[in-house]
Amino acid sequence: MLQEFSYQAPTTLKDLYSLLKKRAGKAVILAGGTDLMVEMHNNWIAPEMLVDIKKIRELGEIKFSRKEGLSIGATVVCTELIKDKNVQKYYPLLADAAHRIGSHQLRNRATIGGNLCTASPCADMGCSLLALGASVELGSADGVRIVALKDYFTGPKKTQIQKHEVLQRIIVPIDMANAEWGMRKLKRIKGHDLALISVAMARTAGVMRVGIGSCAPTPVVTVDLPASASLDKVKEATFKAVSPIDDVRASKEYRLFMTGEYVESVYAELTRGRSRK
Amino acid sequence: MKISLKVNGRKYTRDASESKNLLHFIREDLGLTGTKEGCGAGECGACTIIMNGRTVNSCLILAVEADGAEIETIEGEAKNGKLSKLQQAFQKNHAVQCGFCTPGMIMSAKALLQKNAKPSVEEIKAAIEGNFCRCTGYQQIIEAVQDASGQLKKKGELKRA
Ligand SMILES: Cc1cc2nc3c(=O)[nH]c(=O)nc-3n(C[C@H](O)[C@H](O)[C@H](O)COP(=O)(O)OP(=O)(O)OC[C@H]3O[C@@H](n4cnc5c(N)ncnc54)[C@H](O)[C@@H]3O)c2cc1C
Ligand code: FES
Ligand code: FES
Repeated sequence: MLQEFSYQAPTTLKDLYSLLKKRAGKAVILAGGTDLMVEMHNNWIAPEMLVDIKKIRELGEIKFSRKEGLSIGATVVCTELIKDKNVQKYYPLLADAAHRIGSHQLRNRATIGGNLCTASPCADMGCSLLALGASVELGSADGVRIVALKDYFTGPKKTQIQKHEVLQRIIVPIDMANAEWGMRKLKRIKGHDLALISVAMARTAGVMRVGIGSCAPTPVVTVDLPASASLDKVKEATFKAVSPIDDVRASKEYRLFMTGEYVESVYAELTRGRSRK
Repeated sequence: MKISLKVNGRKYTRDASESKNLLHFIREDLGLTGTKEGCGAGECGACTIIMNGRTVNSCLILAVEADGAEIETIEGEAKNGKLSKLQQAFQKNHAVQCGFCTPGMIMSAKALLQKNAKPSVEEIKAAIEGNFCRCTGYQQIIEAVQDASGQLKKKGELKRA
């Protein structure tokens, strides 16, 4: 048995907002549970109330429009993102990144919103969405605000989300559709594992960015580079963005070295115009 | 909270404790103890079941989240005392040693074969990535899934990976 808590599953955003407002700090949002259930199992947290948001229909939708781009509802799970036709067609980097999360069992439950809310430095959706210049929509009884993902992460497991807010959807801009891309994730084993470092790059006619995971207190991204930036310039911007540490999974030196290696190899792929893994 | 769900085609309605995970609910409240608990934290896959057509770790889901769900567990495999094709293939190919991983492993293999009747070795490996086996070294399990999908060559010609 887990600790005692109450369970609510509102079906509308309005009900969710008022629940979160009334019980701010007490109510904890439950999406796929692949992080939360582990934390409760280990007795790291003991929430008073779990608020399951999976019954709110609009949070589960993936939409694509020529105007806004891609909108990913917070409770969309990795498996659905991977299968989505518009994601495959316009933003294949995201399908690739989602595929790198955990195992089948995990991907069938883990939500994209949950990945960004856990805000682990190694969150696989973090670096890919950063490379694509994504933003997140946060909602509450006080209204809705949009925050650029690069400003959203504030520290390890810390974000700009307030206690009474919910992450509603992720927006990937239309001008990043069909971007050339490449991604690498360094793991200790072949099977499912968290990243020692990960690198995701995206380039359009107008801009190039590198998103890096597990190499700073949060997932980070380079400044917007011109599409024509040289490898040296890209590496320089990458090393400016990161600040790795030694930990149980890898040393600082190894992380820096492999980040540089991956940027080089992905850059070479992009230059060859081959936008593949 | 009162929940209703279908497990292996049979409907159950029960009062489920909010703070019980689906794995414990299936084992303790429904008495279906085929599904195992290894880590209790999403790592090992011993608790794998099929929920609404997809494999999930039942240790990471609350029982109350399964209200209205359709679930398949290892108990749904054998019919009238006769092992399913997949179970027979596991037995024949020595894919079971201690057997602790087997119920979850078979659920992952079943979900794979439902989508892909003739999976390659690489596809089989990817499908069971979330299921740990500390006994067999996986080779026999891979062969069992190949066998169940009619792809296993005679043992003599078999090249072990
Ligand atoms: C064995 C294992 C392997 C894993 N491997 C990987 C991996 O390779 N790569 C990786 O990136 N991650 C991995 N993870 C971590 C995890 O699966 C992901 O972070 C997942 O995307 C979390 O989503 P969830 O829906 O399960 O979140 P939940 O567990 O439901 O929630 C996570 C946190 O976010 C909050 N939250 C969730 N949704 C919202 C929302 N919409 N608004 C506000 N707050 C919200 C919750 O309150 C909670 O604090 C792994 C986990 C396990 C157990
Ligand atoms: S018991 Fe659920 S994954 Fe190990
Ligand atoms: S047979 Fe013992 S763990 Fe797989």
